[in-house]
Amino acid sequence: MSTSLKHDYAAAPDEELVRWSQQGEAEAFEELVHRHRDKTYARALMMLRNEDEANDVSQEAWVKAWQRINQFQGESSFATWMTRIVINLCLDQLRKQKRARVDSIEEMEEESGGVERQLPVTVTNPTEGLEKDELRRRIDEAMGKLTDAHRAVLVMHEFEGMEYKEIAKKVGISIGTVMSRLFYARRRLATLLHGLKRERSE
Amino acid sequence: MNTQELTLNLQAYVDGELDAAQRAEVEKCLAKDADARTLVTGLRQLSEILKQGEPVAKVSDTREFYWSQIQRRIQAQEKAQPRSTESVSTALSWLRWLVPAVGVAVVAVVVTLQHTAGSAAPAQKGLVENKGQTEAGSTVFRSESEGVTIHWLN
Repeated sequence: MSTSLKHDYAAAPDEELVRWSQQGEAEAFEELVHRHRDKTYARALMMLRNEDEANDVSQEAWVKAWQRINQFQGESSFATWMTRIVINLCLDQLRKQKRARVDSIEEMEEESGGVERQLPVTVTNPTEGLEKDELRRRIDEAMGKLTDAHRAVLVMHEFEGMEYKEIAKKVGISIGTVMSRLFYARRRLATLLHGLKRERSE
Repeated sequence: MNTQELTLNLQAYVDGELDAAQRAEVEKCLAKDADARTLVTGLRQLSEILKQGEPVAKVSDTREFYWSQIQRRIQAQEKAQPRSTESVSTALSWLRWLVPAVGVAVVAVVVTLQHTAGSAAPAQKGLVENKGQTEAGSTVFRSESEGVTIHWLN
């Protein structure tokens, strides 16, 4: 890794930093790390719900990104590419820990036809009037109550905009299971947020 | 379509995962089913809430300290496994050389085989011509064309 400053890294767009990183300029890569480290860490934390693990996995993601930076062809934004790396590592981590199979009573319910009993999701906006920070905190809290398997699918779809097919491939489940997990996660989240509204009005 | 299928199709409709025919079918259902409309509204609302309130988190380490940790990991990894400096397109560019290289290799193999076949007869001949010496405790192989003589001692 070189040490001399060749460019104004702070002012350069991501695309330029990526190009310089591909040429081996560590300073350019360091600027990318600085710009995107919070998002990468936040995604890992959302998936793993553990600060130490999230820190470790997100740092590992940066190492992988440096090693594979020459494979990045710009089909997506650098931020998206980076988030995909961290999500893959989080899924590996969850698989290793077999956490996806723990507390699976809800999954069993969901996969044995629980979906139809769960209409409707919600009617009124339970978070109306909340400050943004408070809303974030409440959503984070509610997401922490989902199982790893449900949360992973929800994060990939709602926050990463991934299609069912892509999620199914990454997680190694059928599209039907993606759909039912996603529905169950949403239903549970809506119920938790609905409870929040009741709590606030009391 | 049973209730579960309908529910998941309504969700797929909201998520933009249906093709035109499936969308039309769901829309027909929405026109006459109030519960289905409520569900679709609820799913859209939830997505909107999640977009507005996506949880955020910040790395607590300073920029320098965070980078130093990553740098250490990179250096450790590079010792074990050097970084790939080839892009996909660079790697694929080797294919340009692979085709002629394979062609040259095939020609070389054919020439060698022909050569071997051509020299096999004199070699056999040489072996037969010297068969008598086998009885004397050695075998001599001589190839006139190669100008080679090999002695096997029994």
